[in-house]
Amino acid sequence: MVGEFKMKKYILNSFIAAAILFTAACKPEIETPAGTTAGQANFSKYIAVGNSLTSGYADGGLYLEGQKVAYPNLIAAKMSSVGGGAFTSPFFNEDRLNGSGYISLTALVNGTPTLTPVTDKLAIRDAAKHLDKYSGEIQNLGIPGMRVDLSFDPTLTFSAANPFFERLLTDAQVGKTNYFQYIQGRNHTFFSIWLGNNDVLGYALNGAVTVAGDPTTVLTDKVTFSSLYANLLNALTAGGQKGIVATIPDVTAIPYFNTVKPSLLLAAAKASNPAAQAVFIQTGTGAVRVATDEDLIRLPFQSAGLFGQGTIPYGLHPLNPIANNWVLDKDEVIKVKDYVNSYNSSIKSIATSKGLAIADTYAYFNQVKVGVLVQGIGINAAFISGGAFSLDGIHLTPRGNAVIANVFIDAINAKYGSTIPTVDVTQYRGVKFPDTK
Amino acid sequence: MKKILLSVLLSAPLWVLGQGFQVNLQGQKQIGMAGAGSALALDEASVFYNPGAVSFLEKNSVSAGVNPLLFKSAFQQTGSNVTENVKNKIAPPFEFYAVWGPKSNKWKLGLGVYTPFGGLVDWGNDWSGRYALTSLNLKAIYFQPTLSIKITDRIGIGAGFVYNHGDVNLQRALPVNFPDGRSGHATLEGTGKGYGWNAGLYIKTLSNISFALVHKSKVVTKLDNGTAEFDVPGSLRSSFPAGNTFNAELPLPSTTSLGIGIPLSQSTTLAFDASWVQWHIYQDLSFDYATNTPALADTKSARNYRDGSSFKLGINHQASEKLALRAGVGYALSPVQDGYVTPEAPDADRYILSAGFGYTPTRHFEVNASFFFEDVKSRKQKNIETGLDGTFKTLVYAPGISLTYKW
Repeated sequence: MVGEFKMKKYILNSFIAAAILFTAACKPEIETPAGTTAGQANFSKYIAVGNSLTSGYADGGLYLEGQKVAYPNLIAAKMSSVGGGAFTSPFFNEDRLNGSGYISLTALVNGTPTLTPVTDKLAIRDAAKHLDKYSGEIQNLGIPGMRVDLSFDPTLTFSAANPFFERLLTDAQVGKTNYFQYIQGRNHTFFSIWLGNNDVLGYALNGAVTVAGDPTTVLTDKVTFSSLYANLLNALTAGGQKGIVATIPDVTAIPYFNTVKPSLLLAAAKASNPAAQAVFIQTGTGAVRVATDEDLIRLPFQSAGLFGQGTIPYGLHPLNPIANNWVLDKDEVIKVKDYVNSYNSSIKSIATSKGLAIADTYAYFNQVKVGVLVQGIGINAAFISGGAFSLDGIHLTPRGNAVIANVFIDAINAKYGSTIPTVDVTQYRGVKFPDTK
Repeated sequence: MKKILLSVLLSAPLWVLGQGFQVNLQGQKQIGMAGAGSALALDEASVFYNPGAVSFLEKNSVSAGVNPLLFKSAFQQTGSNVTENVKNKIAPPFEFYAVWGPKSNKWKLGLGVYTPFGGLVDWGNDWSGRYALTSLNLKAIYFQPTLSIKITDRIGIGAGFVYNHGDVNLQRALPVNFPDGRSGHATLEGTGKGYGWNAGLYIKTLSNISFALVHKSKVVTKLDNGTAEFDVPGSLRSSFPAGNTFNAELPLPSTTSLGIGIPLSQSTTLAFDASWVQWHIYQDLSFDYATNTPALADTKSARNYRDGSSFKLGINHQASEKLALRAGVGYALSPVQDGYVTPEAPDADRYILSAGFGYTPTRHFEVNASFFFEDVKSRKQKNIETGLDGTFKTLVYAPGISLTYKW
């Protein structure tokens, strides 16, 4: 019986020991499939060339929250696990974090938004509304409003006229340089370039009307675009650097042109005046005709307070049509799409000839237009509720930046065999909804 | 002019059930044998494992046991280098049985109260799958009064009526943001009930090899007037009205088991169980909200489960008059098809390992303990409905103990 007791004790002890052993080894492990490598790329000094999208511009302004989640900053943070170094950006100071100012959503009643400018804590340094200067190393070189053609501005005046460019320059440089010169000599090992959107958007956002003396409303010639873009890539790859280029999204894929539809305007008009028959527009050729949903009306029209006003109700009568600069009419849409396609084929062919990665944001935004599902979040191109586009209907929310960062990361990894981890999109917000009615 | 439509926010459904929710912990002796034992008249847990074997139990008895269960699941988003883990929460599957019948009579009455389905998963409010799920607490408690009859000295039949009391609390984040940037949150909570039955046949052949055939019916559990609470920014309140309720159905599947018991020697018995879990009843999941809005429509989501199955082999060795030792291995095939795996039940095929012992200090008392371990295979999935894309890996640990009084 003593033997049996000993045996029981032995069994009990081994049982407890086994249980402890199991629980100690308890945590499930998931192996990261590809390990960590930079592949054929070198991420130690990454620079990002581009426009407002690259700078983190959102909600109609450049402010600190947007700057921090600009897609290059999200990419750079992920590069750190595969040899990426520090990444510097011209952030606004914490005490003047609202930067240029922006718009916020302050009410949403029956689906109609109220947008209110944020005017406190601005980083405006003088009466001429110049922005606070930033000195020091900069790797996020995105400048709102920058264009491929104006990168080579021969007059060098754009460096003074564009406040986002001006703030990055020393007083000696202002009016004395252009973007092409500015981005060179930075000893980068890797670059991204997402530029060219404004070469067509500047024109489209003005209803396809070029304002005399305003170079930001010009539609850049296709051949000029191609040769200037090649110059940019030549400069960026002068030291044999690897990098990634991005295509230009279709302008009709953004809420700015997809929210205010003639059919919705007409329905609203009929609700208050059943006699309303049709919405009339003035086209680019000067003709006046009935609008269809193939004609795209600019987002700010909803709050312009014009529609239906006057003794001859604005937009509802052929004698008082919606003016040409509010409308990207059907034929202008075709023209703009044609330019985008041409720019993109230039971008892709030059990049391919240089062996660079391509982030096809054109293709991706066309998917977003239909709707994508990312980690449990439905994302689409709808204004406010779509989650990807900020309140200006053009630029990205933090969530949109995270999604685009992954488009870049996937393309870089595919091209160079690197394993930059992807960004967790769920950590980034869409539009902020007001907490009061 | 511009209706803000948020229906996509809730187009993803909220519940799924998988093998992961079938809790195979209903009796310490059987758990020690990986869940096999339907063809053995081992003890009062036969009320669950095989009502037909209950009439072959020699004694009357009551027992109560508990199996604190630790469900350790990990997730890594595709392309990410970050592994996220569920919080350590201990679910308490339990079992209570009573068996009584006049000595040397041909029938016995039994009562079982046990938890055959349940889940306790808490991924936290910040993990990368939070728009699919943040936490689930699901409990199904079955009450089963049972009658078992010895038809001959070698054949027993038995059947029980099943009443299920179900509790569910399910939470997820909503991809709408407050002014401070935090996400909205949905909490669905309800109780429901359902009915079913459990019947078994027990045959002991002349060679003492025993057979079992057991069918546990499906239990469609209806949840009426559960509360649907949405924490959203005030400007979206009209889309997610306060005080909303929902109705839903939880289809808990039927299981058919075939068991064999083989005495290897006087003191050693082998048990094998094959079970077929008829999850195919789970084709879709519907949610019916009392108040619908353009953003909050009723949902009907495809689940498309196929049937699951499991194979379990256990051994019981009576080491001495007072001490019994047990061990088992098993393998279970998941009912969840590719594209339908979710964080509620990150299901995949799984291995089962178990061990246990019983100690009988007096002829009235018995203590049984078990340790149950499941290794759910790693599974890389992109969910069709939510787009959640990543790899799940799960380990399950459940130590257990029960006390029995026999007379």
